[in-house]
Amino acid sequence: MENKPRHDPNPDSNRPEEPELDLYTIPSYSSWFAWNDIHETERQALKEFFEGSSISRTPKIYKEYRDFIINKYREDPSRRLTFTEIRKSLIGDVTLLHKVFRFLETWGLINFLAPPPPHEGSENDDRVRVENGAPNGVRVVATPNSLRPLSAPVVKGKNSGDGVEESGVKLPPLASYSDVFGDLKRLHCGSCGDNCDSGYYEYKKDNFIVCDKCFKNGNYGEDKSMDDFELKDCHEKSAANGTVWTEAETLLLLDSVLKHGDDWDLVSQNVQTKSKLDCITKLIELPFGESLIDSAKGRGNSSGTSMSMNGIKPVVVPPSEDQENIINEDQGYDGANENKKNGDSENQEPPLKKKRTASTSDADSSLMKQIARISTMVGPQITAAAAEAAAAMLSDEMSCSREIFYGDHIDLTNGSLSPSIYQQERAHNTEESEIKERSNPSDSLAESQETHPKKSDIPLPLRIRAAVATGLGAAAAHAKLLAVQEEKEIEHLVATIIEAQIKKLNSKIKHCEDAELLMEKEYAAIEGLKEYILGERINILRTTYNTGTSKLLELQSQTSNLS
Amino acid sequence: MKSLASASWKAPLKFRMPTAENLIPIRLDIEVDGQRYKDAFTWNPYDPDSEVVMFAKRTVKDLKLAPGFLPQIVQSIQSQLATFRSYEGQDMYVGDKIIPIKLDLQVNHTVIRDQFLWDLNNFDSDPEEFARTLCTDLGIEDPEVGPAVAFAIREQLYEIAIQNVTSARENRISKKGRRAAEHFTPSKASGAALDLMKLFSFRSSVVRKRKEWDYYKPVLDLLSNEEVDALEAKEERSGR
Repeated sequence: MENKPRHDPNPDSNRPEEPELDLYTIPSYSSWFAWNDIHETERQALKEFFEGSSISRTPKIYKEYRDFIINKYREDPSRRLTFTEIRKSLIGDVTLLHKVFRFLETWGLINFLAPPPPHEGSENDDRVRVENGAPNGVRVVATPNSLRPLSAPVVKGKNSGDGVEESGVKLPPLASYSDVFGDLKRLHCGSCGDNCDSGYYEYKKDNFIVCDKCFKNGNYGEDKSMDDFELKDCHEKSAANGTVWTEAETLLLLDSVLKHGDDWDLVSQNVQTKSKLDCITKLIELPFGESLIDSAKGRGNSSGTSMSMNGIKPVVVPPSEDQENIINEDQGYDGANENKKNGDSENQEPPLKKKRTASTSDADSSLMKQIARISTMVGPQITAAAAEAAAAMLSDEMSCSREIFYGDHIDLTNGSLSPSIYQQERAHNTEESEIKERSNPSDSLAESQETHPKKSDIPLPLRIRAAVATGLGAAAAHAKLLAVQEEKEIEHLVATIIEAQIKKLNSKIKHCEDAELLMEKEYAAIEGLKEYILGERINILRTTYNTGTSKLLELQSQTSNLS
Repeated sequence: MKSLASASWKAPLKFRMPTAENLIPIRLDIEVDGQRYKDAFTWNPYDPDSEVVMFAKRTVKDLKLAPGFLPQIVQSIQSQLATFRSYEGQDMYVGDKIIPIKLDLQVNHTVIRDQFLWDLNNFDSDPEEFARTLCTDLGIEDPEVGPAVAFAIREQLYEIAIQNVTSARENRISKKGRRAAEHFTPSKASGAALDLMKLFSFRSSVVRKRKEWDYYKPVLDLLSNEEVDALEAKEERSGR
């Protein structure tokens, strides 16, 4: 073989350059390649050379082609080797050479490090270039007159189950947040920096806290003695350890929050079994929690940015969290609406943004029109999710929800929305508290009347928007239900038809079998008859024969006698 | 020698284009009322004849030719198709033949001269693909060059194929007594075929000598407008 630098087929890794060798990179899937041999892969791909069918195609010739091409490429690995360059130097059919060339190229043995081929052809007029984003000179904004740009909708693929847990943790540290939940801020140890999940010790003279471990170990900084520290048990223990909230309690909690808003004492009184802080923490954990508080307070600020549409994706929902997620979906609209009110620019739900701006402009158009508009603006996933959620809920408690929903419709325009949604959600919540729910709607209807003046400060478009969204969901769910019913009917009917056909066939078969049986019997009978008749015939013949012979004998004797 | 001969013996095949797709080259050069129409394209011989008329009509309309062109175009195409069909039933004997194909054509502003080898026995060969690769490798932007190259290749293959049929016929006639089909030694066939024995033997290498490299690589020329006009004028003069 010719002298060439030692070839080292390196799979995509960087090795330090050794002075004597030249390293050539080939992909790892081509590590079967060897200079001195022809591998099975090559034999398979280029069968023509190995069949011995022609004098111009032999393994030796193939090897020469291959080696030449690879060496040619390796003279300058950064340059793309073209077929035309090598075919002038090789004797043989160009089609076959091209095949070898392409084989080597696909396996990365040549042109592996070379730049990709230039754009084929010229930029013709008829060539279409696809550009991402809006064309130049066009700015996509939320409404025709506003200047706020619209970002492309981002689809969140998070599991809704996670959303429930995580939402309580992701709250950004806004001032309003700390106002509301000042009691609950997580405490960090001054010396070791850990979260003080367990009990912590507060330094009386100053604002310094030390976690349990540090206190025990004795590292609480200088100039501080043990006596100065006061033990304070962690308030969050209950929440961190996950006190059990039953559905009924959650219901009560939500109810009372809506009623009393920020007044935690009243709320805790209502809920009875849970302390004030328990209520608060539970409420935070529920993704729509803060919005409820805010809506109850009638205040405009909210920190619930994490209340995203994550909850809207109920695709794979573990059954235990089903209820929570259903609440999420419904309340998601509500909460998202609140976000919009803030003018939160880092909102991640642009589709809802669109919803809001359009609705505000046409607050007086009919409900169905708004539904139609919303259905065009809201992304399909959201619609689908809403429909699914609504379908699930409606299938559980159809009649009950309908009453509530339609009953509240009238109130929507001048009543508050939250109670109505809340009622809907409550209605669908648990099966056990069904009776309770039946009584509740009437209660909450009364409540909603009472709380009218209080909640009237929630702007109309928000309510309408949310109402329209739920209306859309319910309509879609209704349609889906009908479709499902129809399908079931069709299936049922088809099944009956098939059954009938089968029965028919069966009876026909049976009939045929009976007929066969009869036939066989008759045949047997006829056979018997035949035999009998045969027997009779034989008898007759015998008797005639006998009589004949006897007569003959008589005659013979007579004649002999005569003679 | 004998064993090699038997190894490369091939049963006679029905006449067809020795390419992956059985398309035949059609060349038109018609002059009516001072208007000259020259064209060259590939045609699928299995298209129904009605296609010919439709194609002619469309061409006349697109190129705004005089209506007198229509019957002439149709007739020309059909006669070429008929020639093809007359060969179709015959046996064609290809053997193991590698022939040199030469390109020397001018398309608009591009002039290509090239030479390469083509295996007639390789029924996977695709002139269009070869033309595409050539244009990409040479960076030719004119989209008309590729099809012209492919057509030139096809035309030459067609010629050779016809020659095969005729010579096969002749051989059969001359050797009426023998039963088995003949094995074409390269020397008997048209002189263009290469001597495979010499080239692909064990001793020789398949890599060409360097000095020959320039003969077998494509030469590309880009003409300016004046040169194009000059060439056209020369052609017309020589044609008349």
